[in-house]
Amino acid sequence: MGKKWLSVLLIVLLALVLVVGCGQTDDGDDGADVKGTVKIGSKEFTEQLILGQIAIQILEDNGYEVEDRTGLGGTTVCREALESGEIDLYWEYTGTAWLVALGHEEALTDSEEAYQKVKEEDLGNGMVWLPYAQFDNTYTLMMNKDQASELGIETISQLGDYINQGNEAIFGTDHEFAIRPDGLPELENVYGFKFTDVEIMDIGITYGALRDGLVPCAMGFATDGRIADFDLINLQDDKKFFPVYNPSVVIRQDTLENMPEIEQLLGDAGPLLDTETMTQMNYLVDIEGEEPEDVARQWLLDNNLLSN
Amino acid sequence: MKNRSENFNYRPFVVPAVVALIMTITIIYFVNNPGGAMGARILTYKGILKMLRQHINLVVIASSLAIMTAVPLGILITRQKFRVLTPIVDSIVNITQTVPSLAVLALSYVFLGIGFKTAVFALWLYALLPILRNTSIGIQSINEDIIDAAKGMGMTPLRILTRIELPLALSIMFAGIRTSIVISVGVATLSTFIGAGGLGDLIVTGLSLMRTHIILAGAILSALLAILLDNVLGSVEARLKSEA
Repeated sequence: MGKKWLSVLLIVLLALVLVVGCGQTDDGDDGADVKGTVKIGSKEFTEQLILGQIAIQILEDNGYEVEDRTGLGGTTVCREALESGEIDLYWEYTGTAWLVALGHEEALTDSEEAYQKVKEEDLGNGMVWLPYAQFDNTYTLMMNKDQASELGIETISQLGDYINQGNEAIFGTDHEFAIRPDGLPELENVYGFKFTDVEIMDIGITYGALRDGLVPCAMGFATDGRIADFDLINLQDDKKFFPVYNPSVVIRQDTLENMPEIEQLLGDAGPLLDTETMTQMNYLVDIEGEEPEDVARQWLLDNNLLSN
Repeated sequence: MKNRSENFNYRPFVVPAVVALIMTITIIYFVNNPGGAMGARILTYKGILKMLRQHINLVVIASSLAIMTAVPLGILITRQKFRVLTPIVDSIVNITQTVPSLAVLALSYVFLGIGFKTAVFALWLYALLPILRNTSIGIQSINEDIIDAAKGMGMTPLRILTRIELPLALSIMFAGIRTSIVISVGVATLSTFIGAGGLGDLIVTGLSLMRTHIILAGAILSALLAILLDNVLGSVEARLKSEA
């Protein structure tokens, strides 16, 4: 009697393992003529997941087989995956690429200039940059709206003055911002102040930490939907420290040469995204709890970018 | 004739000293070879020592709290009157450790927010099981005859506990404490995600921007810390065993 149960249990476990293991690649086999396979990656935060979904759904809708590798990792993980061919494309921000991938030291603050420079240089690396989106998802220093108005702080310089007068302020940051050239140490250099202490935490919780008053100041991304919802404000970058970060699709040149239609399909989508739209989509996912897939799909339908 | 107590036995200090030396060399190496501008921003003496200090604090405080709760609890569930509680306590503590450590940490964040205290709470939960288990097993493994003999000699339950049960169970209990502390060094690397600092700051920052030097600095230092603690505690454990 005991042995029978044991065999049943083992069979169930084995079945589970097989189902999970084989469930990895589930591409719809509905397209009779598949034009090619494209591997699409993205970083891990909400906006990147939505942008990734936009690319995935446009290409699938046009008969391409897509491997969904969104949520791959951070900036460098994605870039290195692109360079090694593990992914064919992902959305990258001009400012980020200029500083992190292409290794420059000075920031570029004009969207068009940044885009042209990055596009030209990266072509030499075998990477093609498709037309960029209008919004600038810049790093931002945020504070609690009420606390900021109490202290009369609207710009980063004013925050610097406040701290230099001897007041304490702890800063919440994510791992990348802590050491990037467009990040905390250089910001403190340029603005001439140093936070009393720095707490590194996951990018997902910097907004919540501010809202709950656990830190007086934290960094985030300007198009995040939670900034408005949590009553936070963005401190003005009065010394223009941050570069511009317009996202566009970066795709391997060889992939594009094999499937040249992608240039127009995805290139048309980018310029249609503006700050309001992106922030709204981020909000729907982060606050309203919708799925990036659905939010992306809705946007695509609203903009007539899908055939059905 | 040489009196044994006149010779200071320095053997137990050798490995810890060597490991501490390697840690120092590691820190000096990485500060001078940060592997680029980004590495240089985080691999500073001040920065590394701060993260190391945070890490040690996390482990020491959480482990101390775990010992203070799990040992009495472990003793309690071996007492006749409370035998009925044993499966309940066992299950609860079991769950806290079988749930993956990152999940425990994340759940703690959801209820308690960011920071050092939350991380200590999560670490504490995670450290309980080995200590609790070993305490109760250590006591239960004592030969019944010895206890009977003690009862026969008229010893009170309290005296039996302090004079017989605890001393005999000590080395097994301690093994549990040792395991728990070494595990904590590893779990503490996750506290970086909730703003509690520690060597995980180095590991995850290095990972997020693929800077090998930073990853290695964090990984090597936490490994060495675990080895150091394990060795020191092992010497204490051996001492306890030999005196039993």
